[in-house]
Amino acid sequence: MNTVSWIIEFTAWFFLGYFVLLNGSYLLLNLISIRPLLRKGQEDIIDDLPEVYSGLEPPISILIPTFNEEANIAATVQSMLQLSYSELEIIVINDGSDDGTLEVLKHEFALLPFPAAYRKQVETEPVIGMYRSTTYPNLRVIDKKNGGKADSLNAGINASSYPLFCGIDADSILQRDGLKRIIRPFLKDGAVIASGGTVRIANGCEISKGFLIKVGLPETFWALFQVVEYLRAFLFGRMGWSTINGVLTISGAFGIFRKESVILAGGYRTNTIGEDMELVVRLHRTHRARRIPYRIEFTPDPICWTEVPEDRATLRNQRIRWQRGLAESHASNWGLMFSRNGGVPGWLAFPFSLLFEFLGPFIEVCGYVFMITAFILGWIPWQAFVIFLFAAIGLGVLLSASSLLLEELSFHVYPRGKQIASLWIIVVLENFGYRQLTCLWRMVGLILWATEGKAPWGKMRRKGAVQ
Amino acid sequence: MFYTFSDPFLRIAFWTGVGSLSLTLVFGAYIIGLRLLLARSRRREKQTIEKWRPILNATIAGCSPADLPVLRKREGIVFFNLWVHLHASLRGSATADLNRLGYRLECDALARKLLDGGNRAERLLALLVLGHLQDRQAWSSLMLEARHTDSTTSFYAACALVKIDDVSALEHLTPDFIRREDWPVSQVVTLLQDVRDLCEPHLINAMATISPPQMLRALRIAEGLHIKLPPAMHEEMLGNPSVDLIVAALRVVADAVLLDTIRGLASHEDWRVRVHVAKSLGRIGDNSDIDVLTRLLTDAQWWVRYRAAQSLVGMSSFDKQDIDALLMKSDDPFADEMLTHALAESAVS
Repeated sequence: MNTVSWIIEFTAWFFLGYFVLLNGSYLLLNLISIRPLLRKGQEDIIDDLPEVYSGLEPPISILIPTFNEEANIAATVQSMLQLSYSELEIIVINDGSDDGTLEVLKHEFALLPFPAAYRKQVETEPVIGMYRSTTYPNLRVIDKKNGGKADSLNAGINASSYPLFCGIDADSILQRDGLKRIIRPFLKDGAVIASGGTVRIANGCEISKGFLIKVGLPETFWALFQVVEYLRAFLFGRMGWSTINGVLTISGAFGIFRKESVILAGGYRTNTIGEDMELVVRLHRTHRARRIPYRIEFTPDPICWTEVPEDRATLRNQRIRWQRGLAESHASNWGLMFSRNGGVPGWLAFPFSLLFEFLGPFIEVCGYVFMITAFILGWIPWQAFVIFLFAAIGLGVLLSASSLLLEELSFHVYPRGKQIASLWIIVVLENFGYRQLTCLWRMVGLILWATEGKAPWGKMRRKGAVQ
Repeated sequence: MFYTFSDPFLRIAFWTGVGSLSLTLVFGAYIIGLRLLLARSRRREKQTIEKWRPILNATIAGCSPADLPVLRKREGIVFFNLWVHLHASLRGSATADLNRLGYRLECDALARKLLDGGNRAERLLALLVLGHLQDRQAWSSLMLEARHTDSTTSFYAACALVKIDDVSALEHLTPDFIRREDWPVSQVVTLLQDVRDLCEPHLINAMATISPPQMLRALRIAEGLHIKLPPAMHEEMLGNPSVDLIVAALRVVADAVLLDTIRGLASHEDWRVRVHVAKSLGRIGDNSDIDVLTRLLTDAQWWVRYRAAQSLVGMSSFDKQDIDALLMKSDDPFADEMLTHALAESAVS
């Protein structure tokens, strides 16, 4: 065998091995998540009982950063005010909106200026004014100069009165008992500093007055693919990591944090597009470095419903942005990798994320490109090409199928058989183009990060499904 | 053309694909099976609910039927779910009626069987049922469960024991309520709220002999139950070198006898102590504490200033005129800001 042949064979083995390792690792995470999921399900009878509060539940500050959301903000705040919890405050941070967001808030909630003793624990853009509702005493509004979502959250942290805060996206729908469920890790273990909830797709669901009435599936393929993708990547994968304290991401749409831990880590970084992931990785790094005992958990049952892109362009921009955010998060927390006291996050989760999330799109795309090129140029026989595709796509389908199985074993969010049948078809179809396309977009995100630096947010075309 | 592949590549890739496809088909079949089982169980559940809901509704209305159908074993779980939910939502004679119905249907025996031989979900349900039924026969089984390492089943076993015989349960379990870190304090307090008076002497006795880490938890429970500690015990805690213990002790202060000791802590080096001193003085202090609180209003720590301002504004002997006078006199902008904040808060609430 000459050198070129050896290189081709080695490269082919490398890509095959990578696909097996990638999908095998996620399958293992799914396997790890089975036991805690089943145990959680066994406690449904307790969870469904009427809640009785003792008064010792930690009060929560809900932070809602908002920018130009005049159409939705009132409904969002109304739905937050109806959340069931013993003690909470709602802080809306108006991030320099140039539409009527603040006016809507003032009108709808009878806001009056409030002479707050604002405490700057994290640097932010200047706060212009603070308001308090005369009809809802636990509702406050901060009006500030535009600084972005992370900056707004930091301002909310500065103004919050309570030891825990929950960052919620303005376009998200929370289940009424979502807070009482997401708080549970904090009640059971005083070392918990953050807990993330599940984010599911609101497209196709029936929503009324800010609450989900009926679960449905989206109508477009773009959104349907994301339903399966969210199950695979964002639900069971994180459950697996949570059992070994290796969760590196808590969704910005629904996460709860211990305020003093976040302040210790320096608050949200404002110069990154993936501020939610970056914060969680930094929390790991900070606490590990200072040897402070902690846990970061993922709780599968408090659900937040959010609208996902239904057109190719918006989805593309979102995935490019997410990958850039991931890259920024890794780059700024490189010190966690194989650090002395890194534990599971430093020695397992971070390297895993680097290899499969950060570099993964690049390697996957190169794998497909290489095999196609090798086949076209005759370097490999057609049998090898077909079998490679069979293995690569087969593993992808298996992983998606395992996620759907776990969904069936645990939550039954989609009650109708027809919905599961549709999702099963999507489980297969997703791997014939959609996964490869999102890989390509993520690779673009990686290249843009490497060449351009800070990414813009871009605009999403909302259909208003959640309002 | 390069035929560069040895057989192993083709073999491994092929069998990887076959394995993936096979497992996918197995998962698909499993999902179908689960759905069919779910559909069947929902049908049975619907039938059970249609059969038993009218009887349960009549029972809670005080009109339990004279003749009752037999509660079949396969209806047990659904029935228990309904029955437990009703119990949790009702009070008074309705719950006694539900219990009478439960005994007529021999739910106690079924629940004891589930406790001994059921899976985890069934055992949890059985614990709830036995607790509501106040089934004495299950006492020893429940005591065993209460010592289990599983935090959920052990805690709900403890709940059942308290419902059955609160005196005996508190005697045996108070040390566990303090010792078991896996039982959330908020849930322990919720459980003990209805038996607070009975719990008080047991908790105080236990606190006389436990270690400092456990003492913190015991104080949290005392705080939740609004239990007043003996002044001598409380005084000792306030003089302890551990800041965490002092803070926990300050949180439960309710006795004016301790005022001098509390005032003495107003200059403590740890700001968390000063915060709770300010809070405590607001709760039980008097006119002579206004100077202490005014001093704390100029503390370097935001939270100390905040609590001092809240306490001042909340004091009945310190009215708007006094606050205005203080604001005029003050040359500390942070103190002024905080007092204004506390005043505005008080006006809104």
